[in-house]
Amino acid sequence: MNQIRNFCIIAHIDHGKSTIADGLLEFTKTVSAREAKEQLLDNMDLERERGITIKSHAIKMKYLHEDKKEYILNLIDTPGHVDFSYEVSRSLAACEGALLVVDAAQGVEAQTISNLYLAIDAGLEIIPVINKIDLPSAMVDTVKSQIVDLIGCDEDDIILASAKTRAGIETILKTVVEKVPPPVGDPNAPLQALIFDSIFDAYRGAIAFIRVKNGTLRERDVIKFFATDKEFQADEIGVLGLTRVRTKELGTGDVGYLIPNAKDVHDLKVGDTITHIKGGAEKPLPGYKEIKPMVFSGLYPTNSEDYEDLRDALDKLKMNDAALLFVPETSAALGFGFRCGFLGMLHMEIIQERLEREYDQSIVTTLPNVEYYVYKKETGEKIIVDNPAEMPVIGDVEFVEEPYIKAQIVTPSEYVGNVMQLSMEKRGVYKNTTYIDPTRADLEFEFPLSEIIFDFYDKLKSTSRGYASFDYEYIGYRESDLVKLDIMLNGEPVDALSVIVHRSKSYDYGRKVCTKLKELIPRHMFEIAIQASIGNKVISRTNIKAMRKNVLAKCYGGDITRKRKLLEKQKEGKRRMKQVGNVEIPQEAFLAVLQLEE
Amino acid sequence: MKESACYIHIPFCDHKCIYCDFYSIITTDNVNSYLNALFKEIDYYSEKYSSTHSFNTIYFGGGTPSFMEPDYIAKIIAYIKQKFTVSDYAEISLETNPGTVDRTKLKNFFEAGINRISIGIQSFDPDELKFLTRIHDKETAITTVESAYSAGLENISVDLIFNLPNQSKEKWQTNLETAVSLPIKHISAYSLILEQGTILNKMVLDGKVKMQSEDYDADLYEFTIDFLCKHEFRQYEVSNFAKDGYQCVHNNAYWRYKDYLSLGTSAHSFMNGERWWNYSSLKMFIAAVENQNNGRVNGERINRLEMIEEYTMLALRSYGLDTLEFIKLFGNDWLEKNSEYINRLIEDGFFIRKNNFIKFTPRGYAVCDEILLNFT
Repeated sequence: MNQIRNFCIIAHIDHGKSTIADGLLEFTKTVSAREAKEQLLDNMDLERERGITIKSHAIKMKYLHEDKKEYILNLIDTPGHVDFSYEVSRSLAACEGALLVVDAAQGVEAQTISNLYLAIDAGLEIIPVINKIDLPSAMVDTVKSQIVDLIGCDEDDIILASAKTRAGIETILKTVVEKVPPPVGDPNAPLQALIFDSIFDAYRGAIAFIRVKNGTLRERDVIKFFATDKEFQADEIGVLGLTRVRTKELGTGDVGYLIPNAKDVHDLKVGDTITHIKGGAEKPLPGYKEIKPMVFSGLYPTNSEDYEDLRDALDKLKMNDAALLFVPETSAALGFGFRCGFLGMLHMEIIQERLEREYDQSIVTTLPNVEYYVYKKETGEKIIVDNPAEMPVIGDVEFVEEPYIKAQIVTPSEYVGNVMQLSMEKRGVYKNTTYIDPTRADLEFEFPLSEIIFDFYDKLKSTSRGYASFDYEYIGYRESDLVKLDIMLNGEPVDALSVIVHRSKSYDYGRKVCTKLKELIPRHMFEIAIQASIGNKVISRTNIKAMRKNVLAKCYGGDITRKRKLLEKQKEGKRRMKQVGNVEIPQEAFLAVLQLEE
Repeated sequence: MKESACYIHIPFCDHKCIYCDFYSIITTDNVNSYLNALFKEIDYYSEKYSSTHSFNTIYFGGGTPSFMEPDYIAKIIAYIKQKFTVSDYAEISLETNPGTVDRTKLKNFFEAGINRISIGIQSFDPDELKFLTRIHDKETAITTVESAYSAGLENISVDLIFNLPNQSKEKWQTNLETAVSLPIKHISAYSLILEQGTILNKMVLDGKVKMQSEDYDADLYEFTIDFLCKHEFRQYEVSNFAKDGYQCVHNNAYWRYKDYLSLGTSAHSFMNGERWWNYSSLKMFIAAVENQNNGRVNGERINRLEMIEEYTMLALRSYGLDTLEFIKLFGNDWLEKNSEYINRLIEDGFFIRKNNFIKFTPRGYAVCDEILLNFT
């Protein structure tokens, strides 16, 4: 146990977490350079494309220290996005130390700080690393003093590294051995193992990634999970190299995998504790939380016949994504579909893309929204509304509450004004400013979650020329002056376009949606009136003129096949549209409200 | 014998116009081997079809057929007549570009058997001609029409293009006025189409040229129909207008779903319900004819539904849908299925019903594709 070190890497996105990991794996010959595809730890195509680690995994390395002892270093990868902060916290709970990687050219960013706080809360030994020191724009000294201010370490403790040139890689390994404490735990105590991640493997079923805190887990042990209180058998146990390596047992302090006879990942909840049925632990490890979706959206099959296919696809996705929730819902405009809950916008986009790419589903997505608490007049009854179409009529509503978050925004000081302005536009409540160094401010705001889920991050980036960074945590529900805004096409309400907005923004929003829809809905054979209304009151209107011309001028011998195929293609395009009343709405219109720029 | 149409593609041009997406080449190499290949194709198909099909129209399209020597065209006509039954009254058309012919050459074409010419004038306006990269000017265009007429070619058609970038309604009207003042019988008036792969398309994508709005295009189109009608050119297809008795027999063959045999590069044939097409590349065409005695690269058999789709499209784009003939050919389920839609289009003024015909109104022609899309 004394020769085990469990650690993770925390970093702001793009600061080089994955390349540092590759460097460590290569140096320890866990993988050869040839095997090291770019960003090894990121398995999914989507992850590699987006350059972010969505699901954490772990890998075991062996390192011969100069003390002539061979150490086992378990690197536990952490998701790099705020949507997955709970998962990050569970990965951290599986470690005793963390590399804090900061980009030499970028310096400390919002995510560096928020992840660092999580790591400190988890009681981890922090090893600061400045990465990309080979960059011409590296400002090593500035970043050093930022880190010193942030964690109160000694400047000499900071490792200078470049994942690209492999500088500092060995120093990192050496320091991990020397500074990160070995796991503590009692091998003779009842079994307590933490699930820090789980995946679904098409051949093997659900697989848990675990860290044994106390006791020993062996194959064929009869075990239970505290959260689900279900009984399973440990079918296979092992450690994680580039592939799974069966070891038949994991002792105290070990990191590895467990294949129980579980049918999907919902039995293997991240943060849950495993113990033996006989002579097991009395209590689970602390820190387990049920995952709760924060963002909701309707997903509908483009062709209503594909409803069952979409359900199957969602069922399969759910098998390896414990955070995905969905229930059937019906929309007058879109037909039968599902209301889905996601951890955040990124999670939502990933699910959509996976449905399209991996499951070949053509889907229409409605504007995402948060979950509202609506208190009714007279009865005072509280209803939870996660679909704007279900919002009670305005006269029945006493008041509405919406979720708020606390945001951390790190920005160069010259953009503080811009950030302030953007935050005010987003109904932010200013709380506090601290300076990381004389040129960088760390601003604290509280925002309604609904204001930051769509375009806040993009706007923050553009208002700060890409320099500001942002992270947030959920803080609870607060009352807001919210109204339901409906969109009507030729007098027919389109339920899937209804939104809940703050009253102060409703007029502007209504006007923009009308304009955007005018752009996106193609001309029809008749004029189309577009209206935005609150209750019975129309607050904005515009119209789409009737189509005047759509005919190919030429059609002779050779053109006939081509023309027929063109018509067939256009018919196919029409089938992909959604019909509301007599108006055909292209799919992108349902999400257009996301891009309501002038 | 089935009365059908014969199309001959002449791929040679002296340059490529910016809006053109037809197969054409800018060299006269291979002119003789092309002629031999055409003869071989005629041989091949005459064995298959000369006992069942006769021609009442031969059409030389391009490319620029008038770029060829009259003798070249004469040989082809003579060979077709030798191998197939060609009606004594057959319409024999030649696409002609101003600037490639003079009176003598036109006279020779006439003597070779050409009795109708279609002149690619496109515009009489110097700026527009320059924009379209045509080689002729207004005077050449007018002279070409007059020379053809005096050479004995009294069945003359001209092509014009409207909705050009920056084209004012006045300029278009002037073009039309000039055209109708000439001794012509037929006008094809095309709205400028952006075809993929054309130079024009690239210019638009690069933002160098801006196309006009849909509403403007519709205005010009409706104006065109109205103007030409007043000058006794009756619309008989989306883009085609003719004086009484001068509708193009060849085009009508396409639109009335008659059989047509097409020879040469990129030519599309439709015989006995089968459609096929030839290699586009001159070299590959010639090689194919060497190997298999015809230039065919691919084909398709059209199923009933596709046939209905094509038949209705072609009929509605031109002379209207003859419901009696339609029922005879395809039964009446399609008409029943769409009867509600058809009635609504009549109510809304896009169709008119005349006896057993359903026809577009001018407003209907303008949105023809949209209307076709909504048939089920």
